[in-house]
Amino acid sequence: MIRDIVSYLDYSVCAEIALALFVGTFAMITYAALRLSKNATDRFASIPLSDQPQDPRSE
Amino acid sequence: METSGATTSDTEVSKTDSSMAVPSIESGELESFSYDDAIVRLFATATIIWALVGTLAGLIVAVLLVMPSISEGIPFINFARLRPLHTNAAIFAFAGNAIFAAVYYSTQRLCKARMWSDVLSRLHFWGWQLIIVLAAVTIPFGITQSREYAELEWPIDLLIAVVWLFIFGGNFLMTLIKRRERHMYVALWFYIATIITVAVLHVFNNLCVPAGWFKGYSVYAGVQDAFMQWWYGHNAVAFFLTTPFLGLMYYFLPKAADRPVFSYKLSIIHFWSLVFIYIWAGPHHLHFTALPEWASTLGMLFSVMLWMPSWGGMINGLLTLRGAWHKVAADPVLKFFVVGVTFYGMSTFEGPMLSVKSVNALSHYTDWTIAHVHSGALGWNGFMAFGMLYWLLPRIYQTKIWSDKLVSLHFWTGTIGILLYIIPIYAAGLMQGLMWRAMDETGNLMYPDFVETVQSIVFLWWLRVLGGLLYVSGVCMLCFNTLMTWFARPATYDVPVYTAPKLSKSYSEAKPAKDTEYNEVPMLDLGKNMSVWAKMGWHRRWERLPVTFTILVTIAVVGATLFEAVPTFLIRSNIPTIATVEPYTPLELYGRHIYVSEGCYNCHSQMIRPMVAETKRYGEYSKPGEFIYDRPFQWGSRRIGPDLAREGGRQSSFWHWRHFENPAEVSPGSVMPSYQHLLNEELKFDSIAPHVKAAWYLGAPYDDEALNNTSEVAYKQAERVAAEIVSQGGPANKMDRKAVALIAYLQRIGVDLFKTPAPEQPAADAEAPAEGSEEAAEAEAEVADNASPSNASAG
Repeated sequence: MIRDIVSYLDYSVCAEIALALFVGTFAMITYAALRLSKNATDRFASIPLSDQPQDPRSE
Repeated sequence: METSGATTSDTEVSKTDSSMAVPSIESGELESFSYDDAIVRLFATATIIWALVGTLAGLIVAVLLVMPSISEGIPFINFARLRPLHTNAAIFAFAGNAIFAAVYYSTQRLCKARMWSDVLSRLHFWGWQLIIVLAAVTIPFGITQSREYAELEWPIDLLIAVVWLFIFGGNFLMTLIKRRERHMYVALWFYIATIITVAVLHVFNNLCVPAGWFKGYSVYAGVQDAFMQWWYGHNAVAFFLTTPFLGLMYYFLPKAADRPVFSYKLSIIHFWSLVFIYIWAGPHHLHFTALPEWASTLGMLFSVMLWMPSWGGMINGLLTLRGAWHKVAADPVLKFFVVGVTFYGMSTFEGPMLSVKSVNALSHYTDWTIAHVHSGALGWNGFMAFGMLYWLLPRIYQTKIWSDKLVSLHFWTGTIGILLYIIPIYAAGLMQGLMWRAMDETGNLMYPDFVETVQSIVFLWWLRVLGGLLYVSGVCMLCFNTLMTWFARPATYDVPVYTAPKLSKSYSEAKPAKDTEYNEVPMLDLGKNMSVWAKMGWHRRWERLPVTFTILVTIAVVGATLFEAVPTFLIRSNIPTIATVEPYTPLELYGRHIYVSEGCYNCHSQMIRPMVAETKRYGEYSKPGEFIYDRPFQWGSRRIGPDLAREGGRQSSFWHWRHFENPAEVSPGSVMPSYQHLLNEELKFDSIAPHVKAAWYLGAPYDDEALNNTSEVAYKQAERVAAEIVSQGGPANKMDRKAVALIAYLQRIGVDLFKTPAPEQPAADAEAPAEGSEEAAEAEAEVADNASPSNASAG
C-alpha cells in the first residue's frame, strides 16, 4: 500500500518548492540583516579583536 | 557600509534559556582559565608536515603523468593509486589539520573559554593522525571505495565518524555551551555548519555492506550512487574546504589587520546563503550524464546563485582591510590572506560558470576542472592556511618568526607557482576539450585518436610540474622557518591566566524592541510588526544558543538534501529499466573490484554523454538503466584515457593483455603505466565469494550456482577468457591471473544494452518497459533469474 501511495505521489514539484524555499529564506535574512542595529553589529564584529574577556556585555 | 538601521531601545529582562545552559554575565562569579595552546601547536605542526607530504605527493603524480614509465610497473607508485593519496593528503591531512588549528585557537578565544576537554582534544589530534596514516597505507595498496574524496574503506570511515562527530564535534559543542562570551561570533557559525554537514555527508555517502575488512559495497547503485557521491563530493568542497576556511577568514583576517570585519550584516547573509544554497549544487557535476535532467538543472541553478553570497564573502574579506592597505604592503601575513581571498573570489566565480551546462559540456572530463580545483586549493585553502600559520607561529611559540624575508619569499614563490600551475592546465583543458569535439567538414572527428589529444597537452603538463615544484619549494621554506622559530622558543611557555565572570543559566536578554520608529505613524500593525521582526532580535537569540543554532543548520542542510534525494530515489522513471541488463558474473564482479582497486576511474570515465562528438568517438550514449548493478558507479571525472562505457568487445582479450603489459606497445603515445603485475599476480578464486554475496545481498539476482559455487563458476569463465587469449596468439595457462578477471570485466562493460532478450520472453518485455510499471520490474527480475551468470558472456 505504501508502495502504491509513493508511486502515485508527484515529486516533480520538489524543484520549484526548493527554489521558493530558498528565495523566501534569502529575502527574509537579507531584509532582516540590513535592518540590524549598527550598535549591535559593531559590538559583534569587534569580538575577535581581543583575547581578553571583555566587560560584561548586555547582548 | 554598515548603515544604521532602526535604533534599538532594548530593555534588560531576566530570562532563562530552555535549550541549554547559557550565559549570563551578570552573575558575577569570577572564574580563572587559560587557553590550551598546546593543542594548537600540535595541529599547526601537523598542518605543516602534511602540507609538505600532500604537495609533494601532488608533484610526484604530476611527474608520473608525464613520465609514466618511472613507476616501473610497481603498482603502489603508479598514478592511479597515488592520485587519491595526493587528494586525501591535501584535503584531509593538510587542510583538515589547518582547520583544526584554526578552530582550536579561535574558538577558545571567541568563547573566552578553554576547550571543554583536554582529553578529547588530544584524542581528536591523535585519532585524526591515525586516520591519515591508515589512508596513506591503504590507498597505495588499492584498498579503496573509488569514491572521489571518500576513498577510504568502511573500518576507517567508522573511525572518522567517531573522531569527527563525537570527539571533535562533542568537544566543540560543549565548549560553546560552557563559553563566557554571550554572543557567538560569525566564525563559530561557520564551524558549526562544518561539523554538522561534514558528519551528515560522511555518514550517508559511505553507507555500505561489508564484503570483508577491506571492502565494502555501497548501498547505492549507478545513478543514485553517482548522485550521492557528488552530493558528498561537492559539499565536501563546500563544508570542508570553504565554510571552515571562511570561519578562519572571519577570525584571523580581522586579527591580522587589527580591525573588525567590514560588514557583520553581510557575514550573516553570507552564512545563511551558503548553508542554504551549497547543499543543492552537487548535481552540476553530473550534467549530460544519466542523472535525471531536473536534478542536473536544479544543481546548475543553485550553483549560479552561489556566486552571489560567495562574492559577498570575498568582498567582506577584502574590505575588512579598508584603510589598512598600507599594512598589506609590509605584512606578508596579510599578503597571503589577500591573495587567498582573491582566489576564493576567482574560484567561486568560475565554479558557477562551470556549472552552466553549455560551459560544462566543454570543460567536463578535461583539465579545466583540475585547474579550477587547484586555483581553489592552492590559492584559497593553501594561502589562507599559510597566512594563518605565519600569524600563529610567533604566538604559539612565543618568539619572533625566524625570518620575515623567508615568509615573503614563500609568498612570492607560492604565488608564481600557482599561476604557473593553473594557467597551463587551463590551456590544456580548453585545448583537449576543443579537440575532442572538433569535427571536419564531412562530419567526422578531426582527432579520432584519443592519444593524439593527450600528446598535444603533455608539454603543458610539464609546465605544471614546474609550477608544482615552486609551490612545494614554498612549503619547504615554511617548514624550515617553522623549525628555526621552534628552536628559538622559550624553555617553558608562558600560559596567561584570565579571569572572567561565569555565565549561568539565567541571563539578561536584550528584549526585542516592541517599539519601532513607526509607533506614531498611522500604518497597519503588520508593518509595525514587520519592523520589529526585522530588528532580528530572534536571530540574535539564535546566535546565543549553540544547540538551537546547530539544530537550525542541520534542518537547513538535511531539508535541502531531502528535496533532491527523495525524488531521485523514488521516481522510478528516473531510471528506466532495461530488461537485458544483468548482474556481473562472479569473475566480472571480481574484475570490477580490481578495476576499482587500481584506481582506473582516475583516468577513464564510463559515461558517454549524448553529444555527437562523444557518440562518434565512443558509441551509443549511456542510459541510466545500464548502471543498476554498478556499486560503486565508475563514471569518473577526468579522461586522461578514453571513456570505457562501451569497451566491451571493442578490442580482443589478447589486446587487453598486451595493453596491461606495455600500453605504449599497442597504443603508441599512451601515458598509461604498465600493469604487468596483473599478469603475474595470482587470482584467488576463493576470494570472489564475499563480493558476490554482498552484491546479492544488495539486490543483484544471482542464482544458487553463482552463490554457492562461486569459485567454480568464476574458474569456468576464466578458462574461457584464457582460451580466447591463447587463440588470439597470447600465452597459455593464464586463467589464474588477475588480468583475466579484469579482461572479463572490460569485455562486459556496456554490452548488455545491445543484447537480444532471451527468446522465451515476449517481445514486448525486451523493450524498455513503461515507466514505473510493475510488469517492467517483474520482467526484469524474470530475465535476471533465468540468466546463468556463467552464460553472461564476456563478449
